[in-house]
Amino acid sequence: MEKLNILVLDDDKLAQKVMAASLSAHNVEIAGDLKTALKKLDSCKYDIGFFDLLLGPEDDYSGLKAIPRAVEKGVYAVVVSGSDSDEMIDRAYALGAGDFYAKGNEEANVADILRKFLRNRKAAGARNIFTSAFITGDPETKAAATEALKYATAELPILILGPSGTGKTSLAKILHEHSGREGAFVSINCSAYTEDLLEAELFGHKKGAFTGAHEARKGRLLEAHKGTLFLDEIGTMSQNMQMKLLKAIEERTFYPLGSEKPEHSEFRIISATLEDPQALIAQGKMRFDLFQRIHGFTICLKPLTRRKGDIMPLVNHFTRGARRLSFNAEALTLMEAYPWPGNVRELKKLVDLLSSGAGGRVDAETLGKHLKGQARQAAAPDGDGLYAYALDKGLEAALDRVASGLISRSLRENGGKKTRTMADLKISTRFFYSVMGKSKGE
Amino acid sequence: MTGKTDDSKLLHDLRSKCSSLKSAAELYKDCSAAEKKEMLALMKAAAAEISAALARLEGAAGPGTK
Repeated sequence: MEKLNILVLDDDKLAQKVMAASLSAHNVEIAGDLKTALKKLDSCKYDIGFFDLLLGPEDDYSGLKAIPRAVEKGVYAVVVSGSDSDEMIDRAYALGAGDFYAKGNEEANVADILRKFLRNRKAAGARNIFTSAFITGDPETKAAATEALKYATAELPILILGPSGTGKTSLAKILHEHSGREGAFVSINCSAYTEDLLEAELFGHKKGAFTGAHEARKGRLLEAHKGTLFLDEIGTMSQNMQMKLLKAIEERTFYPLGSEKPEHSEFRIISATLEDPQALIAQGKMRFDLFQRIHGFTICLKPLTRRKGDIMPLVNHFTRGARRLSFNAEALTLMEAYPWPGNVRELKKLVDLLSSGAGGRVDAETLGKHLKGQARQAAAPDGDGLYAYALDKGLEAALDRVASGLISRSLRENGGKKTRTMADLKISTRFFYSVMGKSKGE
Repeated sequence: MTGKTDDSKLLHDLRSKCSSLKSAAELYKDCSAAEKKEMLALMKAAAAEISAALARLEGAAGPGTK
């Protein structure tokens, strides 16, 4: 259980001891009188405050005064008192107390309160992510992500499905952040590596294990020890690599390339693919046993065109703390009508373009130019010209030209990042270099 | 302070101390040796205070309650 900072206000020495024993798994501070409690509330940060109300025989329920101060400081105020008359209960709740318990069953009550507090905090955190980290107001997407978050702390593997650019990596990161795992979030895009390179990346290698291995390198599996290993585009992994990964997942041990000493890593798997895993299995591209290992809980993210209500909240999120944009009515209509084939990633690129442009007020004409540019770049080259080129140079050369154009565009959009380009276009390293090599030779 | 308020606070104090004593007795078995010693001393002190509170209640109730 998460370690909480707790303040206990009680004048009775035995009651203080009982509370300290019941809360021994947490950081507990004791105040025997109101003045000390208020001072502590002002100077330290607490998660929960347990307050008795009547602090001594001559006292006049001064414990009540600690409640509003605690609430003001964001502390969850709980009254544990022998004074459990209706009047006292009403007054405590009116002052902002979150709970009221009669003294006498501290061990069970305290455990209940802590459970409830942690559950509420997690639920509040889950609600906040939709306005701060994973922006969506779409009820279906919110429900699916909230359901996935319920499994964040479990060992259960999670499989995220959805088209490119829908936020699979962001969601995986959020799941890791909510997992309470002490290790790191380690991400790898399986489509960006050849089989040999992927093996070296995942399992690591010894110095001299292969040509170019000038020094030993820790693999991603080891980096993810006690953390999360996020395998993006897992559907592109070769059968051979799938078998090796499956063995590492099942045994929690693996051999770095060139090493005879096994390494141990306790990682949790989150994987993602834009393809249908069942189709991949049917086509023989994904091992059924690996699929069984990675799909404990499956979440499917919708393309942006099916959650258009998220477009403007996303724009606001991308421009938060920077230059804000304002869209006129026609521009807004255009934003909604556009199909967003690149999803949230494409929207982010558009916002970056518009933010660095001349004016913060976006009209339909400006927006149309940018969207047309994006659409034009995404569309196939001019049919007649390409046909003429194919007749002249042959179909293969024409197809190479199309591929080269699409790769160049993606490279440009990704700021020259080859791995991201290969991932976006779902192509292998070999194909990438083959096409780009041919285009250089032209 | 009225007699009624005094009684009510005395009863509250009595209930609180009895509750703490009960909770302490439940937690006692899981305490370390050092904690048990400390807990026992506090439980004895609470028992003495309970006895004193009962005597005060008895006094407040007037003659004929013994």
